[in-house]
Amino acid sequence: MAELFEITASPIDPTRLLAAVGDPAAGASVLFLGTTRNENAGRRVTLLEYEAFTSMAVREMRQLARQAQRRWPLRRVAMVHRTGVVPIGDTSVGIAVSAAHRAEAFEACHWLIDRLKEIVPIWKKEHFRGGTVWIGAQQGGPEPRRGRRRASVP
Amino acid sequence: MPCVRLRFFASLRERLGPGEDRAVDPGTTAGSLWESLVSTHPAIGRVRVRIAVNERYVEPAHELTEGDEVAFFPPVSGG
Repeated sequence: MAELFEITASPIDPTRLLAAVGDPAAGASVLFLGTTRNENAGRRVTLLEYEAFTSMAVREMRQLARQAQRRWPLRRVAMVHRTGVVPIGDTSVGIAVSAAHRAEAFEACHWLIDRLKEIVPIWKKEHFRGGTVWIGAQQGGPEPRRGRRRASVP
Repeated sequence: MPCVRLRFFASLRERLGPGEDRAVDPGTTAGSLWESLVSTHPAIGRVRVRIAVNERYVEPAHELTEGDEVAFFPPVSGG
């Protein structure tokens, strides 16, 4: 099975992730799916939109997988992140990890999603009733949809 | 003068456009290039920027050379 590290505008297929970490020496496969939620910081979210620096994002995901492989005795790792408009309830990110035993597969998968959120160059724009906001970019709150200045809304 | 390619993402892209080619003085660093962008566009000075050169994160003191691709990021928020 070919390795799978991908930024894609298409819906994420979890069976593809699991297939990519299939390994006869694996006794455990852990799959994490991040799905878009309809609420954030008290706002009713209508959809999320993701942007990536695609080539660097794939490079960073591979690098994280290599780091995880050094840290835990894993068999295989696969990571996919979606870009563009992602409707509520859809999968925005998927990570699969296989290992001989479940403990390291769980730990590595948890570590990988945490690190992905910290360093992989992907950005999330939240659309909610009344505006949009780039998550992570603002110290203040959302900017009004038509506003020129950056509002600092509680 | 070395010529580098600037790239902007997310909120920075919305303010500055996707990027441009720019000639810089020899010895220009990633951080000093950002400072010059902030002096032209003061509103971006509030962004906690991260800089990648040729798809690798660098420190502000990283010196730029001919042909570098310099990418400026607001804090990432994938997931």
